[in-house]
Amino acid sequence: MEIKGYLMPGNTLNAAVIVKLEPDFSEGNVSYNADGTLNRAETKSILGPHSAVASSAAFYAKVRYGARIAVTTMGPPIADVALQQAQVLCDADELHLYSDRMFAGADTLATAEVLRNGIAKVEGGQLDLVFSGHRASDGETGQTGPQTAWKLGFTFLGNVIDYDIDVPNRMVRAKRLISLQGFYDVIEEVEAPLPVFIAIDPSYKASFNTVSQRLAFEKYQKEGKVRAQDYKRYLKVFNAQQLGADPKLVGLPGSPTIVYKVERIPKAKASRKAEVIDGSSREELRKAAAKMYEILGGMVIK
Amino acid sequence: MVEKYDVAVIGGGSAGLAALKQLSNLGKQAILIEAGKQLGSKNVSGGILYSKKPRQGKAHNVEDVYGSDFLSDLPVERKITKYMLHSTSRNKIFTMDLTAAHEYQANFGYTVLMSKLNAWFAKRAGESAEQQGGGIVSGVHVKSISWQDDGRAIIETDELEPFEVKAIIAADGVNSEVAEMTGARPKFTPEDLYQGVKVVVKLPEEIIEQRFGVGPGEGAAHLFAGDVTLNHIGGGFVYTNRDTLSVGAVYHYDSLMRLPAEPSQLVNALLKNPMVSEFIKDEVAVKEEIDRNLPKEEQLRARFAVSKLIKTWNELRDAYHSPDARKKLVEAGKYKSEDEIKARLDFVRNELTTKYRTKFVTDYVELEYSAKLVPDGKRCMMKKPYHKNILFIGDAAGRGVFIGPRIEGLNVGIDDAVRAANAAARAIDRGNFSPEYMGQYYGDLVNDSPYTRDMKEIDKDYLKIFLDATKDVPKDIIGQRYGMVFKLMSSGTLRGLAVGLANILGYDRLLPLVESEDTYVQVPIELAEKMGQPVSATYAPTIPTVSQRVAKLKYDDDRTSHIKVLEPRSEFMKKMVTLCPTNCYSLEGEDVTLQHEACIECGTCSKETEWRHPRGEKGIVFQYG
Ligand SMILES: Cc1cc2nc3c(=O)[nH]c(=O)nc-3n(C[C@H](O)[C@H](O)[C@H](O)COP(=O)(O)OP(=O)(O)OC[C@H]3O[C@@H](n4cnc5c(N)ncnc54)[C@H](O)[C@@H]3O)c2cc1C
Ligand code: SF4
Repeated sequence: MEIKGYLMPGNTLNAAVIVKLEPDFSEGNVSYNADGTLNRAETKSILGPHSAVASSAAFYAKVRYGARIAVTTMGPPIADVALQQAQVLCDADELHLYSDRMFAGADTLATAEVLRNGIAKVEGGQLDLVFSGHRASDGETGQTGPQTAWKLGFTFLGNVIDYDIDVPNRMVRAKRLISLQGFYDVIEEVEAPLPVFIAIDPSYKASFNTVSQRLAFEKYQKEGKVRAQDYKRYLKVFNAQQLGADPKLVGLPGSPTIVYKVERIPKAKASRKAEVIDGSSREELRKAAAKMYEILGGMVIK
Repeated sequence: MVEKYDVAVIGGGSAGLAALKQLSNLGKQAILIEAGKQLGSKNVSGGILYSKKPRQGKAHNVEDVYGSDFLSDLPVERKITKYMLHSTSRNKIFTMDLTAAHEYQANFGYTVLMSKLNAWFAKRAGESAEQQGGGIVSGVHVKSISWQDDGRAIIETDELEPFEVKAIIAADGVNSEVAEMTGARPKFTPEDLYQGVKVVVKLPEEIIEQRFGVGPGEGAAHLFAGDVTLNHIGGGFVYTNRDTLSVGAVYHYDSLMRLPAEPSQLVNALLKNPMVSEFIKDEVAVKEEIDRNLPKEEQLRARFAVSKLIKTWNELRDAYHSPDARKKLVEAGKYKSEDEIKARLDFVRNELTTKYRTKFVTDYVELEYSAKLVPDGKRCMMKKPYHKNILFIGDAAGRGVFIGPRIEGLNVGIDDAVRAANAAARAIDRGNFSPEYMGQYYGDLVNDSPYTRDMKEIDKDYLKIFLDATKDVPKDIIGQRYGMVFKLMSSGTLRGLAVGLANILGYDRLLPLVESEDTYVQVPIELAEKMGQPVSATYAPTIPTVSQRVAKLKYDDDRTSHIKVLEPRSEFMKKMVTLCPTNCYSLEGEDVTLQHEACIECGTCSKETEWRHPRGEKGIVFQYG
């Protein structure tokens, strides 16, 4: 009997999810300071939408492969609500909060440094998978993921919309949504050995298509809700010292970039250029063929 | 490699869920596949859930399956303590107290709303099943079943990879696709069926108790026959739930075919009956047009404010009329006392009248419109409720007790479920799922069911209750129609003989006489006219149209239709234009065409269509049921 997921003997995978507490941008209940920066005190914070997608991608690993999951975040003590909300989504076994005044003012590189130190604490560093969102909604540049991956020395897979794992051979097979020549819906299929760092595309949606997966899904989903009600039991808080973080590499001192202002961006103009080829002559048709060749030739699809 | 399980239950209504629970109680692995996403979102009942103590044989009751949990949690509405039958003609009503018929061989009868009840059942059954390595898989629609050489069944669904099982319990309801695709039984005909249509009406808790003369937690059932039937065989009901009423009409499908009437009109006839109008009436806030001379922004603000205030008023009023809710509000510190709640309620009401010119009128509030076919077990129960390694239970097996005002499908389905689960468990122990070993055994168990007896034979003690109730009725009203039969029946000594004779004749011969327009229409009308009391309504209810009713329903839309019209010009399909409760059919030229979007999956049109339930998660999502 082939039964995958929670009936599989022994847990073979360890996964971590990096999440972020973000201002709730829904319903327009965001408030700005007079200088145009975000008024964080007055804006309610929740688990960021991209973090939520990352959590559900990790949940897939739990349902399919019985992975153990740790959800991690760097932030102030109140960031534990993001961990709690993520736990509902992925039935996390552990919640890690990296919190220290020293981390304040960190840019992406300094954040990556904290996360690297933190993630090394998960399962004694025996990690197979790390998930992060595509990027944060509150003015982050999408660099934390790749930088953390680089610091960890994991293969980085960005814009992942689907993945599966060949557990015995420790290989990940992923589909990535990539943009080629301005065409946005090109799907690339890649393979990489574990461990990997997966940045999940916002369009990711897990699908479970066997009975056992659905049963496992139900079971873990219920478990996640129950666990999250009592989330403090799963919570571990680490300060800089406990993480063994190098003070020169975290917080403001470890940040080569400084965000001094976030502007509300005027609505962007469409940037796609259209070239009209009317097919009226052989020359025109040749142009069209050449263009198509150029585009198709660029898609390296496995 | 396909996944393998011991037993699959198909359909998560009250019958299927009981089967899953019972299998788990017996320590067996089983999975349940349900098309709806939320368990309970596809089920409709009247309904009263009975627990029975028959004099002969044993009924497997809800509390036997779910244990004392059921009696302490009580995921039900009200315990019925009053059961009245009203004969109606215009504004005249003749009432008979049939509480004795309701209490007949019953431990209890509670009103229920399926969405809540089945969600509760699902939680218990799902948890037990998980412990045996099984569970509930919802949002999955079974589309085909095939058999391997070793006799095991392969189940294919619209959503999942195929899987293999040793036994199947088919609990997929009156419009069973399993029965159809396996050829286990032909589709039911109008002769076999009743069509039930129902509206759920909002009414605050304590107002129900005052109006119906019942204590807290207690309820009443009122049944109607006579002119409210619009000349059809069947009748109407008003059941009290905790803070809603179920108002429904159940008519013999055959009589609807003979004299097509829109299902919504049949409920409306009931709602317009003065007694029912008075039952459902409530205080309703009506928004006044907003002054168009005000600036746009001001208008918008006012509209918002009114809606919000009306919502507050409704919620607070419901809470104020509910002892539990009142207590909770005070305990939570939201109000210091109950008087303060009242004061706040008056304040909001006053605010609405003075500031926003809101009017408070006498009317009623409908929450949900629903419909479903009901199988009449006397006519259509499967003689052999099994096929290969499939056991059919509940509505899928055409099993329901339908005698006079007595409609029992819930308790019958639960009883069937226990018998099927027992048969399947025994088959697992022996490793023998053949029809001879498992099917036949289940067939025997079902034959022993007291409900099967009710579907085959007349119960003279039950009949006596009716005769006793009509003892003051002049004999000429009843006698002239049923003549000899009635004379025999009303004499104590001859009753046994008459029933014996009737049972020899069998239900087949007797039904046209008993289940006739005479019984449901003419006799009640005559009773009401000759002996009834005039009843008047203080207002005329504003009854929503079908489109307004549909607009209130929740659907998960599927772009492709689950129903295919096969013969757009048949007489049957033409009647569907009238008989579909949500007006999905219309006539375009000569052809009947379907717009499936509003379909509430009642099954009325299934006889001459290619009829499937929608794909998993799709279609109607009932909030009450
Ligand atoms: C108006 C009305 C009044 C009634 N009053 C009473 C009453 O007072 N007392 C009483 O006892 N009974 C009453 N009944 C009858 C009672 O409601 C039914 O007998 C009972 O609900 C049937 O339960 P079931 O589990 O057999 O079927 P259902 O409740 O119909 O359940 C079948 C389930 O199977 C699912 N399903 C169907 N096909 C598939 C598929 N292919 N794949 C996956 N899932 C599928 C459906 O989604 C559904 O959830 C009344 C019925 C009506 C309509
Ligand atoms: S389309 Fe058929 S099944 Fe759907 S509501 Fe109408 S009659 Fe019922």
